[in-house]
Amino acid sequence: MERDYRDGAIEAMPTELLREPLVWFFAEHYRHRSVCKRLRELAKTVAFDEDALRDVLRFLDSDLPLHIIDEEDDLFPLLRRRCEADDQIEKVLGMLSGEHASDLHDASAVKSLIVLALNDHRGPAGYAEAPQIIPPFCRSQERHIAVENAVVLPIARARLSETDLRSLGRRLAARRGLPDPFAEAS
Amino acid sequence: MIESLLDNNMNWASARVRADPKYFQRLSAQQSPEYLWIGCSDSRVPANEIVGLDPGELFVHRNVANLAPPRDVNFLSVLQYSTEILKVRHVIVCGHYGCGGVRSAIDTKRLGLIDHWLQPISDMAHRHKSHLHAITDFDTRVNVMCELNVRAQVEYIGRNPFVTDAWRKGQSLAIHGWIYSIRDGLLRNLDLTIKRPKEVDALSARPWFAND
Repeated sequence: MERDYRDGAIEAMPTELLREPLVWFFAEHYRHRSVCKRLRELAKTVAFDEDALRDVLRFLDSDLPLHIIDEEDDLFPLLRRRCEADDQIEKVLGMLSGEHASDLHDASAVKSLIVLALNDHRGPAGYAEAPQIIPPFCRSQERHIAVENAVVLPIARARLSETDLRSLGRRLAARRGLPDPFAEAS
Repeated sequence: MIESLLDNNMNWASARVRADPKYFQRLSAQQSPEYLWIGCSDSRVPANEIVGLDPGELFVHRNVANLAPPRDVNFLSVLQYSTEILKVRHVIVCGHYGCGGVRSAIDTKRLGLIDHWLQPISDMAHRHKSHLHAITDFDTRVNVMCELNVRAQVEYIGRNPFVTDAWRKGQSLAIHGWIYSIRDGLLRNLDLTIKRPKEVDALSARPWFAND
């Protein structure tokens, strides 16, 4: 399942991080930032860079939806069950869940633009709609990630037990068709 | 088109026999499942398949929104038969995220008879409305209700006379609450397991929301 990304492009996730699921989330967020950086560069050029476009497309097509399931169907429900009133987590999670719903919608507009660019052998800057699609998507992603890194993951670190983290790591792996990350250790 | 189902069945039975010639002979001789599964009727949640059990290993009861209504004769018959006759050791209440039944129960749209079936979930949503309204995203609210619904059913079952009778007789019987995501095919243990009356009380005393 290791993906073959080009040097300097979007890095593959190190599967050993599945044993530390919260670090996995941080690393995923770092990759999101890399994708945004790459997208912003692509949005400024009319030069056709097929590999870069395909890297981003692959990320938006498979990694982003999986990451949203990681959070929506796994991390966030777990936090709702484990957090205490003082954490005031619901307001933040509610906002982030609403953003996840729009993320997929906004990502599909970015994907359509990239597919168009791939078909036409052009850089995204060659399309008049690119400035309305790419920068707002990147800004929203970066803000969303900043909130998750600053609020959600530190609370998760404080509230989730070893057992929670272990089962979370196993599900992150299973969702990606990867072997149980704790199998050798157990 | 319907014929294809019969053809599929022929292929399935034949493949089973090829793999294990005595399979159906053994299966027909007795039924001794260890588990009772109470799940949703949703066609995307195939009980045996998601827990990797063969026919004969899981006694299954499914209805819309995986309810365990204390006055439903169908459910009560299943519960009595499985606990008293089959002597299952585990009852699993399994909900699923995005459940259409739960969604309908907290929506205001009228669907008909099903609204009456889903009334216990609507009532529960009403009891917790201040907490639920704090969840701004509707899909998330549905998912939180899916989890709460599992918990409510685990509590109902834990207080059901067939179950308390079994415990009084010293029978080993655990009730579990799980939730399934259709988006990834994975089950989550909601940590609601009860094995004796005291644990039912402890579960009932547990807050439903962090700020309860």
